[in-house]
Amino acid sequence: MIVDGRAVRPHRWKQRNHRSTLSPRRTACLYDSPGRLRSSIDRPLGIHVGQIIHPFIFFGLLVLGGLGVCLALPRRGTTPQVVGALIAGIVGGLLMLFLGVKAGTGNLPNIYFYVFSAVGLGGALRVITHPRPVYAALYFILTVLASAGLFLLLSAEFMAFALVIVYAGAILITYLFVIMLATQAPEEGQEEVLAEYDTAAREPIAATVVGFVLLGALTVMMFRGLGSGEGMKSAMHVTQPDALLADVPRKVENVLRNNGILKEGEAVVAIGRAEGTILIQGADGVERTIPRNEWPENLPITNAELLGFNLLRDHPGTIEIAGVILLMAMLGAVVLSRKQVQLDDEAKATHLTALAKGVVSRDPIMDSPLELVNPVGAGPADKSLQGTGAEGGQA
Amino acid sequence: MLHNLLASPVFAALAQHGDAAAHAPEAHATTAVLGAMRHAPSYFLLIALLPFLTFVLSGLCAAFRVKSKLPAWLTVASLAGSFLLTLKLFLTYFTGTDTAAVHVYGFEWLSFAFQNAGEKAFVSNFAFYIDSLTTLWMLFVTGLATLIALYSSEYMSADLGSGYNRYFAAFNLFVFSMSCLVMADNLLLLFLGWEGVGLCSYLLIGYFYKRPAAVAAAKKAFIMNRIGDLGLLTAIFTVFVVFGTVEYEKLFPMIAAGVDGAGNPISGGWVVKLIPLLLVMGAFGKSAQLFLYTWLPDAMEGPTPVSALIHAATMVTAGVFLIARMYPLFMADPSHTVLSVVAWGGAITALFAATIGMAYYDIKRVMGYSTVSQLGYMFAGLGVLGSAGGVFHVFTHAFFKATLFLCCGAVMHGFAGQLDLRKLSGVMKMKGWLICGLAMVVGCLNLAGFPFTAGFFSKDMILAQAFSTPCTLSGEHASGIAGAPFIGWILLLTAGMTAYYTFRVFFRVFLGPKEFEPGDEVHGHDDHAHDGHAHDGHGHDHGHAPAPAGHEHGKDHHGSHGDFHPHAPGWAMNFVMATCALLSLAAVAVYFIHTPGSHAHGGWVATMVGNSPAHVEAPHGGTFLGMDPHKVMYWVSGVVGGIGIMLAAVFQLFGRKHAATAPADKLFGVIPGLKSLHTAANSKWYVDEIYDFLIVRPLWVLSHIFHLIDQYIVDGIVNLFGAIPRLAGKAIRPLQSGETHGYALGMAGGLAVLLVIVIALSL
Amino acid sequence: MNSLATLTLAQEGFPAAMSHLTLAHYLIVSAIMFVIGLVGFLTRRNLIIMFLCTELMFQAAGLALVAFGRYHMDFSGQTFVIFILTVAAAEAAMALALVVLLFRRKESLSAEEWKEMQG
Repeated sequence: MIVDGRAVRPHRWKQRNHRSTLSPRRTACLYDSPGRLRSSIDRPLGIHVGQIIHPFIFFGLLVLGGLGVCLALPRRGTTPQVVGALIAGIVGGLLMLFLGVKAGTGNLPNIYFYVFSAVGLGGALRVITHPRPVYAALYFILTVLASAGLFLLLSAEFMAFALVIVYAGAILITYLFVIMLATQAPEEGQEEVLAEYDTAAREPIAATVVGFVLLGALTVMMFRGLGSGEGMKSAMHVTQPDALLADVPRKVENVLRNNGILKEGEAVVAIGRAEGTILIQGADGVERTIPRNEWPENLPITNAELLGFNLLRDHPGTIEIAGVILLMAMLGAVVLSRKQVQLDDEAKATHLTALAKGVVSRDPIMDSPLELVNPVGAGPADKSLQGTGAEGGQA
Repeated sequence: MLHNLLASPVFAALAQHGDAAAHAPEAHATTAVLGAMRHAPSYFLLIALLPFLTFVLSGLCAAFRVKSKLPAWLTVASLAGSFLLTLKLFLTYFTGTDTAAVHVYGFEWLSFAFQNAGEKAFVSNFAFYIDSLTTLWMLFVTGLATLIALYSSEYMSADLGSGYNRYFAAFNLFVFSMSCLVMADNLLLLFLGWEGVGLCSYLLIGYFYKRPAAVAAAKKAFIMNRIGDLGLLTAIFTVFVVFGTVEYEKLFPMIAAGVDGAGNPISGGWVVKLIPLLLVMGAFGKSAQLFLYTWLPDAMEGPTPVSALIHAATMVTAGVFLIARMYPLFMADPSHTVLSVVAWGGAITALFAATIGMAYYDIKRVMGYSTVSQLGYMFAGLGVLGSAGGVFHVFTHAFFKATLFLCCGAVMHGFAGQLDLRKLSGVMKMKGWLICGLAMVVGCLNLAGFPFTAGFFSKDMILAQAFSTPCTLSGEHASGIAGAPFIGWILLLTAGMTAYYTFRVFFRVFLGPKEFEPGDEVHGHDDHAHDGHAHDGHGHDHGHAPAPAGHEHGKDHHGSHGDFHPHAPGWAMNFVMATCALLSLAAVAVYFIHTPGSHAHGGWVATMVGNSPAHVEAPHGGTFLGMDPHKVMYWVSGVVGGIGIMLAAVFQLFGRKHAATAPADKLFGVIPGLKSLHTAANSKWYVDEIYDFLIVRPLWVLSHIFHLIDQYIVDGIVNLFGAIPRLAGKAIRPLQSGETHGYALGMAGGLAVLLVIVIALSL
Repeated sequence: MNSLATLTLAQEGFPAAMSHLTLAHYLIVSAIMFVIGLVGFLTRRNLIIMFLCTELMFQAAGLALVAFGRYHMDFSGQTFVIFILTVAAAEAAMALALVVLLFRRKESLSAEEWKEMQG
């Protein structure tokens, strides 16, 4: 804990962690398993932005960035889009630089953060500046992918992949379909003309000012610090991953058996909820414990399992609500996008007559029954039509 | 209550005053007031509450759409009950030697104690203070109301089922209000009754609410009365401020002692001038006197029984009653300033209204103007320190004017609303009209002051007092009335004119060749008025007449009065007219009733008045051409009245061949200027037009100016406040463009601004 | 146990040598991505791209959530990303169905075509 730049060790943690004084520079990951991506951060630290970047520099960058975004928005005619994008990009780069100078770039994983951030923000900028919806959607996918990378850095592996699958894979594809549905394809031989509403942004200056004032206000909050978090910590439910093993005895048994630790005839008797020790009773009745450092690497609770516990144990009601929301959305989408076929009474009557005569029109909209019974032309055409009808009837 | 009175500082002051008062002229009044207050049983409250009960019952009849004469009989019964109770009250308490006021306690109505005013509290109970003056008033109010209710039962029968219930409800409410007014034991209850009668007057004048004229007249009466009521209300406030009470039994001792609530003498101060002046304002409004009289002739738009009861006999005398009731306060001013105002106001009104009455053709309006004129007489009587005469005239006038109105109403009823004396002639000679004609003769003789009628004696009392009251202007007498003899001369002239116009009506309508033209209310239309009689009534009375029911019948008769048959009054109307006529004849008797210890002059009424606080020791000193007015006035007024009747006979009756013309019309050619004078008088001296020009127009202009101010300045300011959000709305309306981007921008921008504000605040 | 120990060590050693990525790094990236998505939503007029921009904002939110979850050692952060995925999928389904419907009506993907739906 950092309170006024001074380290404060929470009491109960101090007691519990005997090997905790090794190296302050030691990088660690949540799960001490070498096969996994090691996150460079264990936890993002609550700290003033002012400790990382001087407020004046930051706000100056914000103003410049706002200018860049404003310029980068699409306009009619010759646009300074490239200049704006350049300014915005430079500002973003400077920001990353300032962030990185303080936080240090010595650790390789930190670089990923800057890369993902740059890609994500650049993609986002391109989403809002690209005049073509298809490209905007594609850039959005890029942003989603970068976000997934940031999620990985935050040890949220499950969410990272869920994001890629659900967002990039499902939602965005839906968007692309709709874009294709709702965009008129150019005729052959013609150049595609962008719609007017795509080529010109609406009130770019006002929107940018509002947006960046909001951004300034949000970041000022960060400059003001996040508080000690002490009270919050004690109040919050902090999940202790190892303790959750007691809730998945079958997994423990399986993993231990697969790794050969659990021999034939042995069984897991108890899983210590507090200490994370596993008590095994042999066939001969001898009990032994497996210490933490002898655990197989896939024994500890994974991110997905943790998430599952959190989701199903702590928020069982909300998941129901989410299900209902999805169901309603599905119903709504079906109802809304269904093609409305409305026939007036006269058209229905004629259609029925035509049916009785055997002239079956499959699509009452496309093939108007009026045309069938009242063809333009004289007797012969009429006759031929009747003949056709008769043939149809015979057929 | 008596204990309180005895303990009060007022009484102590009064006791000191006692010795001096023993020799003062108002000694009698003082005894009358301060004699031990008597208490009467509570059932005398029924005098007022019976009409109220019937009011409620009539209202229920209206709610249940009763189509019979039930409300009429209920009314007659309850009013008769009230009359009998009043009679019992009179016989029990006011025939002996003890004439002290009687108190009937009902319930505590209003009682406010003021925190910072010591013992000063505003108390106003629903209770009756009944002295001989009150009894006198109540006797003729309830008696006449009973008779007129009976008359109305037939007169209003055309409206059975529609307005009948409403009419009687208002009628009863009127009697209740009038009883409260007269018998109230405090000024506030009097004011309640005062407003109540005003309301009923409004309701009954506007009874035919589908006729614009009636509605206008009702509004006119109501509004003009409000002007007077303002005075009365202010007077009541002032009385409370000065005396600390509005209850008579505390008020009168103070006034008699000449002190106000704090024990300071009031004589010579502003109190004895201002309060009476305000009271006079109220009285003039209610009694249709100077400047405020124009509503009364218009009030004749109401049903005739209403005119008879409310606008001739009772309500309009409320002003006279008010002044008589508060007479001690008027007398507390030794210079009689306000009484002079009363006297002059009354005299001028009497003359003025008489001039109009001489020229008017509408007989009911003539009676209306004569009422105004006679009310002027009464005020003049009160003003010249002849309260007995004034009240006596109220008493006699109530009977004979009711008679006259009822007769006019019968004519109107019978001739389909015809009131123009140029279109009616010789009515008395027609079949079934004899009683009406005779009653009319009696009424006219009374009004004209024909010798040995009741009207003769009451008018004579006023005239004699007007001449015998000394004139302060001459400087010889300190306690007279300003210009008293002139008032007498004016009244004498008026008496002659009254005789003329009264008999002008009688000679034109009841005598002469038989000729008539029915009014425009031949048969019951939807908007038919009071006196249009119903079809079935017509058919019943004249079985020979073809009587197909419905409007066609009415249209057949409309405009061709060849088939029209005058509709002679029925038994109820005849009975009431005869009774009223007999009563007005009999009223003369009271002049000759002299009970032991009563006043020499004026008989029973004077005794009754004399036993009340309105008592005044009539001053002497003035002369009529060097003679004692009380001795010669009989002859003089008799001669004047006779001359008036003679002139009327010469100009209106003898040699008249047609209804439309009279011998008097020839005078227009003989005397230059008479024609235009006549036209002016017939046009009511253009008073309504003058009022319109002097008051209504300026107010109209003023209201338009205010309207403009309101529209452009006040509304402008208001609209300015409205314009700010409107402009703001206009400015931000483009935001509500329907474009998603705009909304999103607003949302994000709002969030940004909010965050910036939060950050700025937390720095 | 090991992992917890290293975490603590990392915290203790941080001020001496700032060689680690901090929460702030991720939050800044997330905030920038969010604002880019927001600016895109506010400026682009193509309905589909507007929805893509909302997806961008979802991405940013998800990144912040995961970073915070990592910071607090709480998997709820990742769980909420699952819900974000859910909502994003539902939104994509519904919104794209709507877009198809709207395109059928007006033959245009411009959001400004639907101005008359003022509300």
